[in-house]
Amino acid sequence: MGVFQQPPKENMTIKVQQIDSCRWRIPREGAMRTEGLVFASAAMMEELRREQALEQVRNVATLPGIVGPSMAMPDIHWGYGFPIGGVAAFDADEGVVSPGGVGYDINCGVRLLRSDLHAAEIRPVLDRLADALFRNVPSGVGSHRRDLKLSLAETRKVLKQGAAWAVKQGFGEAADLDHIEAQGTIPGADPELVSERALERGHDQLGTLGSGNHFLEIQQVEAIYDEAAAQVLGLFPGQLTVSIHTGSRGLGYQVCDDSLRVMLKASRKYGIELADKQLCCAPLTSPEARDYLAAMAGAANFAFANRQLITAWVRESFEQVLGRGPADLGLSVIYDVCHNIAKWETHEIDGKMRRLCVHRKGATRAFPPGHPETPAAYRTIGQPVLIPGDMGRYSYVLVGTEGAMRETFGSTCHGAGRVLSRHAAMKKARGHDVIGELARKGILVRAAGRATVAEEIPEAYKDVAEVVKVVEEAGIGRIVARLRPMAVIKG
Amino acid sequence: MTDGGHFRLLAHTADIGLEATAPSREELFVVAARGLTFLLFGKSPAIASICRTVTLDAGDSAELLVTWLNEILVFSETAQVVPAAFLISDLQNCRLTATLAGEPFDPSRHVVERTAKAVTYHQLVVEERHSEWYARVYIDL
Repeated sequence: MGVFQQPPKENMTIKVQQIDSCRWRIPREGAMRTEGLVFASAAMMEELRREQALEQVRNVATLPGIVGPSMAMPDIHWGYGFPIGGVAAFDADEGVVSPGGVGYDINCGVRLLRSDLHAAEIRPVLDRLADALFRNVPSGVGSHRRDLKLSLAETRKVLKQGAAWAVKQGFGEAADLDHIEAQGTIPGADPELVSERALERGHDQLGTLGSGNHFLEIQQVEAIYDEAAAQVLGLFPGQLTVSIHTGSRGLGYQVCDDSLRVMLKASRKYGIELADKQLCCAPLTSPEARDYLAAMAGAANFAFANRQLITAWVRESFEQVLGRGPADLGLSVIYDVCHNIAKWETHEIDGKMRRLCVHRKGATRAFPPGHPETPAAYRTIGQPVLIPGDMGRYSYVLVGTEGAMRETFGSTCHGAGRVLSRHAAMKKARGHDVIGELARKGILVRAAGRATVAEEIPEAYKDVAEVVKVVEEAGIGRIVARLRPMAVIKG
Repeated sequence: MTDGGHFRLLAHTADIGLEATAPSREELFVVAARGLTFLLFGKSPAIASICRTVTLDAGDSAELLVTWLNEILVFSETAQVVPAAFLISDLQNCRLTATLAGEPFDPSRHVVERTAKAVTYHQLVVEERHSEWYARVYIDL
């Protein structure tokens, strides 16, 4: 009982051909409709060959109507259905949408706040600030703010309006919305297509961080690589920033689960052969696909509202400890990105503009300078891309590039990517005072559960510096700044 | 462990797997449910003080196992219950009726070992092997 075993090895003989120092091709064979393209260094590829993520890249390539290769970003690791770090685009007429290509945590994403504060001036009160954040932002199982109670009718408004709902309720500023992907509202959400069970799972969880790899982090800008871009983003050396990583909580999980049941039936109905049931899908022209995308948009909007509420409580926490309001502290949103989503986008394919449904599963949109969906404030530098690392090392801020637009449907990595299973991480952490060791490095941790901290030890992740190095070398993102954690709030 | 079968957890880079074997398909569903409970709450002792009867259906026998396990997951999450017992009163290929029983979560007696988002269909297996039933599921954490 409960003994961990290595999983049975499935077909591990995936052909992989090196294209250059950061690109690998999985040639088309068998039921594949296109080839696979993996962004990774040679060292990363050596690790990847030991797990099942490459097979998942191959499986995604079998889905109908896929346009371009089945891709994986350098933070690729074994997921379920799609690999984590997977990107796949589908033709509007011939293609499909797959809820497994978005995942359970719909619109899991990252938001970065800037401030006018220098990290050094905060160090003396960092303890109090971490305590205030841990108190004001609910994290861990079952915790929620007692002063936020939503009726089901109000929750449905959240699904429709996203971050704009939160701003209307006084949680933040209208200007925040200009700095969120899709302005914090994915259009076309239909709350009536979100089940009662999803609403039941989610409505107490709005404005909560959750557990697992979700976090809230106070950081300092440790290095600037692109001064001009940093200036446009409002970043400077030694500056204090705050990152929020969370998603649509139980509501999103249930929307995904409900949709998978529908899509399993739809796959049979439309005669779609599946390499893995988790890839179940429906033609984009079908009612099943339309319903999923409308429910998914609702869950994505819930996630945007979630991060907006947490932003308000971060500002509240700073005010409680420092006695200065958000305007005085310059505590504003730099950007907020989704990394689990399917979106309608227009991309140039062989000289023609085509409307595609782009799935990003653990991947971030990275639109270039001048793109109409890049916020006006960042039009000259490209869309900000926020890449969290692990709680002991660093995170990165990048911007999108033309290279990403040409090669990856404007996508790049989303994080460091795990290398150790949770069990292996727990084993490695055994006998270590993880919180004490991080404190000695100047990183305070406040966590609802010790197990989460052990599972999330820095060694459980790839070095995110290696990941963004591959991204920059491949030209699918440009590094702007590195952020070092000062205090981490975990569920 | 039950008298009628056993389960074990499988390592996965980001998530976790659960493998179960039992002499009959009915027992397999109970063993898998116990495995999920162990994964969520460890060895927390629980008594059957709250019950819920459910009828579930799915496209095939394997999908029915996922539906069943997700039902238990959502029951424990929304009712804040530590599952204690599973009584399957009717099991068809694509449909089951069962009673789930458990105890309200009490932090002085119970431990949350892990939280889970959902039981997935990834590499899902439910089959009869050498005159016993075998199942494998992966759970998104």
